[in-house]
Amino acid sequence: MTIGSGGSSVVVPRNFRLLEELERGEKGIGDGSVSYGMDDSDDIYMRSWTGTIIGPHNVSAELSLISTVHEGRIYQLKLFCDKDYPEKPPSVRFHTRINMTCVNPETGVVEPKKFGMLTNWQREFTMEDILTQLRKEMASPHNRKLVQPPEGTYF
Amino acid sequence: MANSNLPRRIIKETQRLLSEPAPGISASPSEENMRYFNVMILGPSQSPYEGGVFKLELFLPEEYPMAAPKVRFLTKIYHPNIDKLGRICLDILKDKWSPALQIRTVLLSIQALLSAPNPDDPLSENIAKHWKTNEAEAVETGELTAFLLALRHKKFPSSHSSLLFANFYS
Repeated sequence: MTIGSGGSSVVVPRNFRLLEELERGEKGIGDGSVSYGMDDSDDIYMRSWTGTIIGPHNVSAELSLISTVHEGRIYQLKLFCDKDYPEKPPSVRFHTRINMTCVNPETGVVEPKKFGMLTNWQREFTMEDILTQLRKEMASPHNRKLVQPPEGTYF
Repeated sequence: MANSNLPRRIIKETQRLLSEPAPGISASPSEENMRYFNVMILGPSQSPYEGGVFKLELFLPEEYPMAAPKVRFLTKIYHPNIDKLGRICLDILKDKWSPALQIRTVLLSIQALLSAPNPDDPLSENIAKHWKTNEAEAVETGELTAFLLALRHKKFPSSHSSLLFANFYS
């Protein structure tokens, strides 16, 4: 069974859904290019999370000469799952400075209006999906060449 | 919708939980999701948790009864088989689950786990060590936790828990 889906009629309640996401995050996802974990292991409501994205190498295997400015950089993000998660998306902001079209340059907040996954949020989307989608976004034509702040600086 | 096609077995179990609750245990389904239960367990008498009111949540996954219910404590508790997020280390919730078991038996087992912690199969290493090396002191810590929780519940009564609690103490 995949996280959050649980078939057509069964709705996994918030807390049990977040426990599933926690366990998946603890096991480690794929090649490790995105990962996440809980900030406060005492918070019974599992609200604050830190996500990590390793900047994508290049656009595609065929176009391997086109690299991205994000290659190999490590980005830290904060995700906040409120009481209405996963009916509503978490709030997402970059902690590590980044220059990206969907990210507020002052605050690091991922602007829902400019990031489709948050605008068209569906209950079965997960924090992993958000991180994976943001990583894809970094490699998109309008983001992959943007001049970036020095590495290791924070909002 | 969340509540359509609720299996007959779940309906039966729910009716019985409401009409014949087990002593010291209450479980009622949430209005929005009949597979999601608010649970209250009273600390068993002659255990370190006596006097405590413990809130839990329980969810019947799609595979239930072929898969075990998911249960966790929402009230903080000092216990060697329960971790900081309230997750419970209990064999029948994992590999010893059988479809012959029910919500009721699961909750009774959790109540029994409060009476008889199992420090040989710990989720919380620190508490288990504490329990093994100095049971009396660990029991005291448990009692203190239960006492403080009881105070908190009296001070901030909420939903049906305060009613249950009042009956228990009157």
